[in-house]
Amino acid sequence: MNSSRPDLDVIVHMVSAGSRVLDLGCGDGTLLAELVAQKGVQGRGVEVDEVKVRGCMSKGLSVRHGNIEDGLADFPDGMFDVVILSQTVAYLNRPLGVMQEMARVGRSAIISFENAGYWKARGRSLRGGGAGTTLVSGQPRVRSITLPQFDEVLHHLGLQAKERVLLRGSEPVRRWPSLFADAAVFRVAKA
Amino acid sequence: MIVHTQQVTFDEELRLKSGATLKPVTLAYETYGTLNADRSNTILICHALSGDAHVAGQHSPHDRKPGWWDDAVGPGKAFDTDRYFIVCSNVIGGCSGSTGPSSINPETGRPYGLSFPVVTVADMVEAQRWLIDALDIPSLLCVTGGSMGGMQALQWAVSYPDRVRSALVLASTACTSAQTIALNEVPRQAIYADPNWNEGDYYGKEPPNAGLAVARMIGHITYLSETSMREKFGRRLQERERYGYDFATEFEVESYLKYHGNRFTSRFDANSFLYITKAIDYFDLSLGRGDLSEAFADVKAKILVLSYSSDWLYPPEQSEELVRGLLRNGIDASYVEIKSDYGHDAFLLEVERLGELTRDFLAKVERETSGPAGPAQGAPTSTGEREEKVYPLASWAAKTRGTWRLAKVEQREIA
Repeated sequence: MNSSRPDLDVIVHMVSAGSRVLDLGCGDGTLLAELVAQKGVQGRGVEVDEVKVRGCMSKGLSVRHGNIEDGLADFPDGMFDVVILSQTVAYLNRPLGVMQEMARVGRSAIISFENAGYWKARGRSLRGGGAGTTLVSGQPRVRSITLPQFDEVLHHLGLQAKERVLLRGSEPVRRWPSLFADAAVFRVAKA
Repeated sequence: MIVHTQQVTFDEELRLKSGATLKPVTLAYETYGTLNADRSNTILICHALSGDAHVAGQHSPHDRKPGWWDDAVGPGKAFDTDRYFIVCSNVIGGCSGSTGPSSINPETGRPYGLSFPVVTVADMVEAQRWLIDALDIPSLLCVTGGSMGGMQALQWAVSYPDRVRSALVLASTACTSAQTIALNEVPRQAIYADPNWNEGDYYGKEPPNAGLAVARMIGHITYLSETSMREKFGRRLQERERYGYDFATEFEVESYLKYHGNRFTSRFDANSFLYITKAIDYFDLSLGRGDLSEAFADVKAKILVLSYSSDWLYPPEQSEELVRGLLRNGIDASYVEIKSDYGHDAFLLEVERLGELTRDFLAKVERETSGPAGPAQGAPTSTGEREEKVYPLASWAAKTRGTWRLAKVEQREIA
């Protein structure tokens, strides 16, 4: 679907056909539209940027304009089969609260993030390049998340990984993923 | 686009929320475009406080001003009259052709004045339902409106869940706030304070224009934003180079308010202003229910809610509250906060984004919801046995107290 975001293909693969899906930080709705087309899901999105929200509307999607924290509070318990948070958790102010809420409104959650433990990231950090995005890039604040950190969060929240796909580029990584995967996609549910 | 205002009179008692009744009920309305064969392309547009049935087009080629939402309604526009059958009617309580306080009370032969019963948004919608029944339209593709028009759209979705496929609610709320009530009360006080008002009994005499003009000025302030006022007027002076140190109208903003206040008095009835603002004040969909979510429990329509970032009369927070109530019921609702400096007026002015969103939304509604559905819709349930004037909408008619008949359909132009 998108060569720069191989995690999205993994997510599409993980979602069962016909399920009720909430995509948090859904952008212009590319992933949701793909899920509707390929899996016939009933999709809803939450997106903070007005232009992207209108992009969702032009794809025929239903979307709630607003930030993820406010948007999630609007949905009743267990309304969705899957709640998706793709490449967004690193940018949240209160990631634990959001993950808890995801577990409330959905029976399962799919979360993807960049692995800050990837050897190139570690190397850059060791060479003094710092973790996450550089200051000069002008990118928003971003949290570095490693695989052991994510496991720890799941344990802390009483969640369990039901499925996980670790990627380098678009290829799955099986050996030493903590070091060799640049991205991770987890499907989690209450333990 | 040349259009004519039409009128329909129902010689039936309209039971109002207050317990009072109103009879007869005349509604002024306009239609645009063509009703399709399966009667599934109707969009009902509901007007706000000072609007009327004349939503678009001109009454004659010499008309200087088109209808109040001409930017959004017409061929190829947001509400495309080439594709949809558009209906807009003047609310009851109004003064532009529908029954209101300036109408003749049949019991006295004189204008109602304050003997006109207080009406609510739900009552306005009930009267509109009579019109929609009279036009033999089983279900509405969309009900839309801004401000009080949005309240009516929501009320439709709540009161008639099986007859509304979608609602597009602009710059509105599910529950009128204390601030809005306050901003309605001060204009009412301006009217009460005008000696010409005379407890509402001024028809045939000098009307309370001074009070009504002040009322309208306050309204205009609430429709703008601080930014739009700064940009539109700043501290510029009107017809003067320097301060006069007197009380003449010298700032541009003063001149603007005065002009619009005075102009309003030539087309609006002060008593109607009182009744309609009161209807807005009473609007609270959660009334008698636990909360808003409960109010929306039966809603089936898809709903798009739009708010405008600088609207302080119906601020985005109120739309978000409404959206929360909808989403908690699992209703297919979308919400967009449009960034705009135009304040509450933005719903009339930001037509480009509105057009884009409306087209996308209506396409989805047409794709995902069926037109007239269910056994009772469409063709008459029985032919021959029923009197021809009893409307075929058996299932809905049954909900009302008895059947009603169209007493008199009168078509005339309102110049």
